[in-house]
Amino acid sequence: MWLHTINPSVKMITILLTIIVLALFLDPVLYLVFWLGIITITFTLSKVSFKIWALLTAPFVFMAIGYVWTAMLFPNEALLADEQMLFEWGWLRLTEESLARSAGLGMRVIVFSALSLLFVLTTKPVLFMLSLMQQLKVPTRLAYGVMAGYQFLPLIKEEFQIMQRAQQIRGVGRPRTLKERVRQWKSFIIPLLASAIRKAERTAIAMESKGFTGEARTHWYTEIPLRKRDGLFVCLLAGLFFTAYAASAVL
Amino acid sequence: MTSKWKLSEIIILSVLAVVFAVVYLAFVQVGNVMAGMMGPIGYEWIFGIWFIVSIIAAYILRKPGAAFLSETVAGTIEVLIGNAMGPMLIVSAMIQGAGAEAVFAATRYKRWGLWVLMLAGMGSAVTSFIWGYFISGYGALDPGYVTLMFTIRLVSGALLAGLLGKWLTDGLYQTGVLNSYAIARDKKKASYGKAS
Repeated sequence: MWLHTINPSVKMITILLTIIVLALFLDPVLYLVFWLGIITITFTLSKVSFKIWALLTAPFVFMAIGYVWTAMLFPNEALLADEQMLFEWGWLRLTEESLARSAGLGMRVIVFSALSLLFVLTTKPVLFMLSLMQQLKVPTRLAYGVMAGYQFLPLIKEEFQIMQRAQQIRGVGRPRTLKERVRQWKSFIIPLLASAIRKAERTAIAMESKGFTGEARTHWYTEIPLRKRDGLFVCLLAGLFFTAYAASAVL
Repeated sequence: MTSKWKLSEIIILSVLAVVFAVVYLAFVQVGNVMAGMMGPIGYEWIFGIWFIVSIIAAYILRKPGAAFLSETVAGTIEVLIGNAMGPMLIVSAMIQGAGAEAVFAATRYKRWGLWVLMLAGMGSAVTSFIWGYFISGYGALDPGYVTLMFTIRLVSGALLAGLLGKWLTDGLYQTGVLNSYAIARDKKKASYGKAS
């Protein structure tokens, strides 16, 4: 519950900074401890469903595995030179350090995904946009423009389905070769873009005719406050980082 | 940056970003399958598609900031839709957009030929690769392998963003919906020039 009420801008910047700081290390132990901490925070302080979380994490696990074996098969030879050889078979050469680096790269993907999910699963899109305007001073014309564009999403989807059905009725078969596939893709994307641009023009005229000027505002209908808990959230992640750092130094 | 823009231009930039955010997310799935088979190099082949909205928006609107903003907005919309990569996507989008923007700025927003668009796609490839090198830790990989990844991304940026972006926009131009934007102004000027 608590995580859902943190200010979206604060949440975003904290998570971005954490990711950038974590990227300065390549240490599987630090990452593992940090990851466990993030999972604990996610599931004790929010009402994120484990099923959805696991489903969204799954692709990152595959990505992480890809990083691990790529790093094992194609290590940076310059780093390998003065390290203790652990295992050698054909041109596959593993050292203790290169193994740790591979595990670190994989673990990094998983940690980053856990941090991202912490944001994505606890932040409402509209509140996020409002917070960008109120705290990060994103120009209102741009932010409301983006929100208007975002509202088109279901319309564009509906139009896509209509076009798909229209093509089916007229006997356009499923594309078989790559050339046909590209042609079909073009036959969808250009009409979709054209109608999206027409919609955008109508929306802009409607917004302006109703008096939207995009001036900077001082008052908001929905105010996104900055509270003490936002500071607490920053401290929580910073504390977790130092715990993980200490744990990795001890081990 | 947007204070001199018309509202219709801002909203067009947003809807382009919405359409391509959906395309981008579809390609994330493709990329995930390819990366599952080949490792991180799997993304490189299709990386250019993730720069395409910069090229299209800049090519249509021909204004400073169009490439950077459209990519940034597309990244933001991907987050709004609920992509699991979250806020990092906005940062990568800004970095990609800045790469294309730099190329357009170098031409002072005056040249819009195919080569410039392809170079802009490559510009995004360069900046996004530098960022990826840091954030994904490519330093631990074989430099030859990393160079191969970079080369593929450059080619992908030139073709999937530059070439495909120009092809799509020119197709869109023929429908007539772009007649009140900078692209039409320049194209008409060019064709009058030929006639006289």
